[in-house]
Amino acid sequence: MKKFLKNIIIFFLLALIVGEIVVRVTHTMSDIPQRVIDENGIQKYYPNQEGYWKGGDHKWSINKLGWPGELPNSYDNLIMIIGDSYIENFMNPNDCHQSAFLKKNMKTFNFMEAGRSGVSLIEAMEISKNLDSLKPVKTLVYVNNNDFYESIRDIKPLQDITQVNLKNGTIVYGKMKAPLFKKILYNWKLLYYFYTRFPLNNQSENAEAPTVSEAIEENNDILKSKSEVFNLINYIKDNYFIKDKVFVFHPNSNTEIIEQCKNLGFNIIVLDSSKDDKKWVFDHDSHWTCYGHEQVAKQISNALLK
Amino acid sequence: MFFNSIEFFIFLPIVFGLYWLIGGKNIKTQNLLVAAASYVFYGWWDWRFLSLILFSSLVDYSIGIALGKNEKPTTRKTLLWISICVNLGFLGFFKYYNFFVDSLINSFTFFGSELSINTLNIILPVGISFYTFQTLSYTIDVYNRKLEPTKDFVGFMAFVSFFPQLVAGPIERATNLLPQFSVERKFDYRNAVDGLRQVLWGLFKKIVIADNCAKYANIIFNNHTDYNGSTLLLGAFFFAFQIYGDFSGYSDIAIGISRLFGFNLKRNFAFPYFSRDIAEFWRRWHISLSTWFRDYLYIPLGGSRGGTSMKVRNTFIIFIVSGFWHGANWTFVIWGALNAIYFLPLLLANKNRVNTNLVAEEKYLPSIKELGQMGFTFLLTLIAWVFFRADNVTHAFSYLKGIFSESLFSWVEIFPSTILGLVFFFIITEWLGRSGEYAIEKVDFINRPIRWGFYLLLIILMFAFTGEEQQFIYFQF
Repeated sequence: MKKFLKNIIIFFLLALIVGEIVVRVTHTMSDIPQRVIDENGIQKYYPNQEGYWKGGDHKWSINKLGWPGELPNSYDNLIMIIGDSYIENFMNPNDCHQSAFLKKNMKTFNFMEAGRSGVSLIEAMEISKNLDSLKPVKTLVYVNNNDFYESIRDIKPLQDITQVNLKNGTIVYGKMKAPLFKKILYNWKLLYYFYTRFPLNNQSENAEAPTVSEAIEENNDILKSKSEVFNLINYIKDNYFIKDKVFVFHPNSNTEIIEQCKNLGFNIIVLDSSKDDKKWVFDHDSHWTCYGHEQVAKQISNALLK
Repeated sequence: MFFNSIEFFIFLPIVFGLYWLIGGKNIKTQNLLVAAASYVFYGWWDWRFLSLILFSSLVDYSIGIALGKNEKPTTRKTLLWISICVNLGFLGFFKYYNFFVDSLINSFTFFGSELSINTLNIILPVGISFYTFQTLSYTIDVYNRKLEPTKDFVGFMAFVSFFPQLVAGPIERATNLLPQFSVERKFDYRNAVDGLRQVLWGLFKKIVIADNCAKYANIIFNNHTDYNGSTLLLGAFFFAFQIYGDFSGYSDIAIGISRLFGFNLKRNFAFPYFSRDIAEFWRRWHISLSTWFRDYLYIPLGGSRGGTSMKVRNTFIIFIVSGFWHGANWTFVIWGALNAIYFLPLLLANKNRVNTNLVAEEKYLPSIKELGQMGFTFLLTLIAWVFFRADNVTHAFSYLKGIFSESLFSWVEIFPSTILGLVFFFIITEWLGRSGEYAIEKVDFINRPIRWGFYLLLIILMFAFTGEEQQFIYFQF
C-alpha cells in the first residue's frame, strides 16, 4: 500500500508539472494581468504587463497608465474611451480595439482606452473624473443595462464593484476579491484551467477574468428597480461633469433608461446591430468580435462627426 | 454519479481510503463499506430507487435461504418463479410498460378499433436491467445447486449493489462475484496498479473516443436527410466507435475500480471490431450479457441441439430478447433480429466456432484475408448499429436508404480530421494490445519513464479533447 501511495503521489506531482508546461506552451488558458487599486480607489492593472490570450494567437498589453491597449502618440484632441470587458477587449488583438477603429475613421483625434472587466457605470464615471486631467474633448462611456444595476448598492451590495449608496449619496469603492487566491490561480495555469473547466459553483466565473459573461442579454424591455435606476441617473447628473460625456448604449439596451438619460441632457449614442446580417459577437462569448468592434466604431464615428 | 464526474473523483479516493485503512482485514467492515458506498453512489442519482435495489436484494436473499432449506421440487420451482416474477416484474413495469401499451393501442388502431389506455410518466431506474439480471443469476444458480445460498445479508447487498458495475455492468454471475465477498481481501500492489491502468484506458475510451465520436454521430443522424451516402456511412462509423468506446470504456473503468478493492470481475469486451465473423463478434461484444443469455435462456431452450428449426428458433429468440433487453423500441428488436440473420448461416453451416483464436496471433499485421473478413464483419455491424442508434424504424430505413444511394461514392461532407486521427490512434493501440485483457495491459513491461510518459499522454489527450460530456449510453438500458 505504501509503495502504491508513494507512486501515486509521485505520478500526480509529475502530472502537475507536465500539465503546467503543456497548458503554458499551448496557451490553453489566457494570461491574466494583475490588478492594483490606485490612490483614488480605482481598480486598474499594474503598468507594463503583457501576456497571451487563450490559444496564443495574439498578445494583450497593459500600458504605463495601467490600462489595456496602446496609449496615443499625443493627448491633444483626445477622446477618452471608458468601459468594461468590451473595452478591455483582451479577446481581440490591439488593432481590433475601439481606439484603433475610431482613429481610422476620425484621423484628427487621438483616442485612449480605459477599460476593465467588471466596471460599473459609477466606477466608469469615477475613472472619467480621474482622467479629466488629460483634458479630453469627449469621453465615451460604453454602457449596458447591468452597468446601471450593478452601480446601485441599494439594489445589491457587491464587494468587488464600485457602487453608490443612493440613500446617503456616497461612493463605496470596490475591493479586491480574494487577491491572494487569484494571484495563485492566475499564476498556476493548470489550477486555473481546472477551476474554469470544473467550476465549484455557478458564480465561480469571477468578474476579473476576461471571459466574463456580464453582458448576457436579458429581457431588456422590462426595467427592474426603475426608481433606483432613475435616481442613479440623477445622481450622476448632479455629481459629475456630463457635458463632454457620451453614453454609448449597447444594442438592445433598455429604452426607458435611454429615454431618461436623453431627457436629463446626457449625450447618447445607441448602437444598433439589428440591421446587420452578420453577428457582432463570438459564438461562445457575448463579447464583440473584431467585426463587431469595427461596426460599433463606425456607428460611433458617424454619430460624433454628425 | 458518473465515473467521468468530479463527484466521483472525490468519492473514489475517500471510499478507497476508508476501505483499506478502516476496513483493513475485516471482511464484514469492508462489505459494509462497499454496500454503504454503493448506496451513496446510486442514491446520488435518485435516492428513491434505492428502495428498489433493497427490495430486490431482500427478496432474492430470502428466496436463496428458502431454496437452501427446501428439497421439494414443486416448492423450489415456485420459489424460483417468485424471484423471476418479482425481478422481471419490476423490469417490465419500469422499462416496458409504456412500450406495450403504445404497441397495443397501435395494433388496435391498425385494425380500425380505438383502445383507450393511458401511458404513465415512468422514470427508468438507472441500471435496472443490469442488477436485475445479476440477482436473477443468483437465484437461478442456487436453484440449480451451482451455488450455496449466502447467509451474509450485508455481503449479498454489497454483491447486488456493487458500485463499480451497478449501473452498466459487466453483469456479474453470482458464482463469480458473490464468493469474493466472503474471502479475505488483501491489498495487492500489482493488481491495484493494473486496475488503475485499466481505469485510465476506460476513461480515455469514454472521454476522448466516445464523446468526440458522439458529437459527429449526433449531427449526422439527427440531420441525415441533409447528407450524402458516404457521410451517412461515416456517421454510422462514428456511432460504432461511440458505442464501443462508451460501453467498453465503462466496463474497463468498472473492472479497474473493482481491482482497486481486491475484486476480479469478468471481462466484458475482447476487441470485438477485430472479429472475423459475426459469431466471433458476439463472443467478444458484451460478453457478460451474451453468456448470461446463453446460460439462462439459450441452453434451457435446447441450444443448438435438435433440428434446424429448433436452432433457428432459439437463435432468433436469444438475439431478439437481447435486442429487447437494450430498450423498449422496435429498433432494438430489429437490431437483434438482424444479428440473428447474420449469425444463422454460420450456425447452420457449423462454422460459428471457426474463429476462436486471436486474429493474426503473434503477428504485427493481419493477412489480406483476415483484413477482408474483419472489414466485412465490421460493415455488417455498422449496418446493424444504424437500427440501434435510430430514433425509430422509419428513421433507420431512411438512413440506410441514404447510405446505399449513388452518393455513397461521393466525398464526405463532414471530415473531422482530428477526431478521425484520434480514432486511428485508438485502433492502432487496440490492435497492438489485442493479446491482453485490455489494450494497454502490456504497457506494464515497458520501462517506467516511457510507461509514465504514455499515461501522461493519455491524460493530456483527455483534457485536450474532452468532448461535450455525455452520459454513458448503457445507463439507459
